Amino acid sequence: MGEISHKIEKPLQINPIRLSQPMGAALAFLGIDGCMPLMHGGMGCTSFTKVFLTRHFCEPIAIQTTAVTDVTAILDGGDSSIVEAVHNITKKVTPSLVGLHTTGLTETKGDDIRGAAKQVDFPMVYVHTADYEGGLESGWGKTVKAIIEQLVEERSQVQSDKVVLLPHVSMQPIEVEKLKDFIALFGLEVVALPDLSTSLDGHLGEKQSALSSGGVKVEAIVSMADAATVISVGASMQLSAEALLKKNAAMRHIHMDHVQGLVATDALVEQLLALTGMEQPPASVVRWRKRLQDVMLDSHFSLGQTRVMVTGEPDFVAGACELLSEAGARISVALSTVDSPQLEAINAAKVMVGDLEDAEKLQAEYDLIVGSMHAEALAHRFGKALVLRGFPCWEIVGNQLKNDLLYEGGAYFLCETANAAEAMRMGSHD
Amino acid sequence: MATKPKIRELLDESACAHNKTKTAGCNKTVPGATTGGCAFEGSQISLFPYADAAHLVHGPITCVGASWETRLTRTSWQGRDMTQMGFTTGISTNDVVFGGEEKLRQSIDYIVGHYAPQAVFVYSTCVTAMIGDDIDAVCRQAQQDHGIPMVPVHAPGFVGGKNLGSRLAGEAVLTHLIGTLEPEETTPFDINLIGDYNVTGDMWQYAPLLKELGIRILSTLSGDGRVARIRTAHRAHLNVLVCAKSLISLPRKLKEKYGIPFISVSFYGKRDTSASILAIAEGLGDADLIARTKQLIAREEARLEERLAPYREIFRGKKAVLNTGGNKSWSIASALQDLGIEVVATSVKKSTQVDKEKARKYLGEKGVLMTNPGAEQAKIIDQTGADLLLAGGRSLYTAIKKKIAFADVNQEKKKSYGGYEGLLNLAEDLKNALENPVFKNVARRAPWEK
Repeated sequence: MGEISHKIEKPLQINPIRLSQPMGAALAFLGIDGCMPLMHGGMGCTSFTKVFLTRHFCEPIAIQTTAVTDVTAILDGGDSSIVEAVHNITKKVTPSLVGLHTTGLTETKGDDIRGAAKQVDFPMVYVHTADYEGGLESGWGKTVKAIIEQLVEERSQVQSDKVVLLPHVSMQPIEVEKLKDFIALFGLEVVALPDLSTSLDGHLGEKQSALSSGGVKVEAIVSMADAATVISVGASMQLSAEALLKKNAAMRHIHMDHVQGLVATDALVEQLLALTGMEQPPASVVRWRKRLQDVMLDSHFSLGQTRVMVTGEPDFVAGACELLSEAGARISVALSTVDSPQLEAINAAKVMVGDLEDAEKLQAEYDLIVGSMHAEALAHRFGKALVLRGFPCWEIVGNQLKNDLLYEGGAYFLCETANAAEAMRMGSHD
Repeated sequence: MATKPKIRELLDESACAHNKTKTAGCNKTVPGATTGGCAFEGSQISLFPYADAAHLVHGPITCVGASWETRLTRTSWQGRDMTQMGFTTGISTNDVVFGGEEKLRQSIDYIVGHYAPQAVFVYSTCVTAMIGDDIDAVCRQAQQDHGIPMVPVHAPGFVGGKNLGSRLAGEAVLTHLIGTLEPEETTPFDINLIGDYNVTGDMWQYAPLLKELGIRILSTLSGDGRVARIRTAHRAHLNVLVCAKSLISLPRKLKEKYGIPFISVSFYGKRDTSASILAIAEGLGDADLIARTKQLIAREEARLEERLAPYREIFRGKKAVLNTGGNKSWSIASALQDLGIEVVATSVKKSTQVDKEKARKYLGEKGVLMTNPGAEQAKIIDQTGADLLLAGGRSLYTAIKKKIAFADVNQEKKKSYGGYEGLLNLAEDLKNALENPVFKNVARRAPWEK
C-alpha cells in the first residue's frame, strides 16, 4: 500500500468527481418496483438528478420533488409540501412505496420527515441525505439501510437456500444480474436490494410512468429476513447488512469488499461452496475462471507497462484497482470521490480523495485513466488512454450493459483496458 | 454597491405578458408536479457561457457536481474554456454550522492565483443563502484586492424556476458589469446579443451574415461572450433579445437606463432568420443598411432553397408534434413549416402570452396548443398519425413507444439548428430520423409472441 490522504486540502473543488447523497438515495429507490422517489428540496436538486440519470442510463427516470420555495423554506416545517407532493402524484398513480429523502436545503431547515411520513397513507421510507455530507455511495447505502430498518419484518426462521444480495451503488444493472445469476448457479434463490438489474437494464418499458418499473417488489423486501444468508458487496453496504442481521439472528453474513478479479471471485466461490456443500462449482464457472487466467496472461504484456489512475466511488475504485493489479497494471493513483474505510485496503501507490484538478497535477504519473466522462477532457489534453467507467458517462451508450465483475466480467475488462492502452501507445508514435 | 435584486420586482416584469394573467409572475411551483430546473440552473445557463470567467458555485456538491460540462456552449476564447469546468466551494457540515464566507474567500483567491480569470462569478445556492453567507461583502473585498470584477449572483434554487434565475443573472450583470468600461472604439452599427448562449454554435450560424453587413456585435450575454465586452454594452445602439422571455428585464432596463432600444427575434427557420436580420437592420435605422440587408436575404434564401430542394420530396405530407419551451414553441414550428412539414401540435406550457399568440398564428386554427404536453403528446400522435416528435431528451421515450421518428431540439442537442445553415442541419437530421428502420424493427414481435 502507498500513501493515503483522506481529505481535500484545498478550500474548493475544481472539476469535481464527487456526487451527492440525494442522488444516490434516488437511484436506490429506483431499484424498487413501483416506487416513487420523492426528493425533499428545491426543484433544481431533482431536475439535475433526473437529467443526470436519464443521460447516463438512457432511460426515463421517475423522480418527484417537493419543490421547496423561499416561502416554504422559511415558514413551513417541511410536512405540508411533502404531503401535498404525495397527494398530487397519487391522484394519478398508486405507488408501492414512497421513497422520501432530504437534501442540503431541507436538512439545513431541519425538517421533521419522520413526522411527515406519518401523515402519508402510502408505505413510505424516509432517509436523511444532506448533500453537504458523504456522496453518491453513502446516499445509496444509507437508503438501503433505512429501507431495511423501516420495511423488513423480523423473522426467526430461515430458508436455507435463500440469499439476500446487497450491491453497492457502482454496480451496473447487468452486474447485479450477473452476480445474481452466478449465485443462483449454486442452487440458491437470490433477492437483490436494490435491484437495478430489472429496472434500469435498458428494457423497453410498457409505459412511461411517475413510478419506477421493474426492481425488487416491496413484498419481497418485507419478507427478506427469512433468508439464510446475506451477501453484501462493498464497504458502503456493511451497515445495511448489519441492519438486516438485526431482523433475524439466525442469518449468516458474507461480506465482500468487491467481487472483481481472480482472488476475490475465488473467495466468493469458496464461500458459496461451503454454503451449499457442493464440491465443484458449475461447469460454466470453471470455464470462465480459465478464460480469465488466459486473459490475464494475454493482457499482462500491455498492462504490465501501463501506469493507471482509477477514479470514482470508493467501492468501485477498490475493485477496479484489484482486478488491474492482478494482471500487472501499475496503479499509480487511486482517486476517490469521498473518504471511506475502503481506502485503507486499496492497492495503489497513491490513494487520495480529490477532484480532477488534482488528477491534472499528477498527470505525469499515469498513462491510462479509468474514470467517468468528466475525465475525457483531461485524457484528451494530455494524451492519456481512457476507459470510461463510473458516473456520469453521458456521451456513450450501453453503460448499463458493462460487466466487470467475477471471472467473466474481469476477462472483458482486462481486454478492454489493454486494448485502450495499446491504442494510446500506437497513437503516440504517429 | 452590491444591492441584492428584489425578486418581487423582477417577477413583476412589465415587459412580460405573463403579468396580465392572474398567476402573476413565473414563480409558481407545485410539489409533486414540477419537473423543471431551479433559479440557480437558470443563472448557470445564462452566465456560464462566459468562458473567460470562473464560475464559482457556493453551495453543496449537488448544484455543480451534477451539472458541469453539460451543455455544448461553444466558444472561440483561446484560453482555457472555463464554461467546461466546475468550481465549487462544496460546503460541508462544518460550513453549514459556522458559515462559509471564509472558505468562499479562500476559494476566490485560489482561483485567481491558479487560473487568472477575467472575472469571477459567485453563485449563491439554497444552503448558503439560507445560512446567510454574505457573498456581496466577500465579492466586494475580493474585487478590491484582486482588481478584477467579482460578480455575486443571487439566484438560490428555492426562489423560483429557470426563468427567474436567468433574470437574476441578467440583474447581476447589469449591476456589476455593464457600464464599467468604455469600448476602445464604437461604430454606428454596434449591437448587443442577449439570450443566445451559443449552444452548439447557434450564434455562429448568423453572426457572419451580420458581420458581412457591417453590423458589429459589441457584446453578448452570453454566447461566446467576453467579460471585457459586456462591460461596454451600454454603448450599443440596439439590444437584440434572441430568447423571447427569460432575460426580458435586462433590455428593458438598459432602455430605461441608457436609452438603448431593443427588439426580440428568433433565428430558427428561414422566415424568422430573414425577418430577424431585417429587424436588426431596421432597428439600426440606416436606409443603405436596410437595402443591403434585403439583398443579402434574397441571396441567402435563394441559396438555401436550392439546397433544401432534395429534402422537400421526403418531407411532403409529413406531420410533426413539437414539445419544447419558450419561444421555441413557435420558432421551431416555423422552421419545420419552412421545410414543408405540417406541425399538428406544439407545447405552450412554458410560453408567454405573446408566444402563444405567435404559435397560434403559425399553426393555424387546426393546430393543437398543448398546455400539458407530457400527458397530451402521445394521444395527439395517435390521433393525427404524426410521423415525427421533436422535443427534449426526456420525451424520447414517448417517441420510441409510439414508434415514430424523434429529434432532440433542447439543451442536449448536438448540432445547431439556428440560421439558414442550421435549417439544413435540421433537415438532414429529420431525414435521417424518418428513414431510420429502427422503429419498425423494434416493433417486431418475437416468434413466440403470436
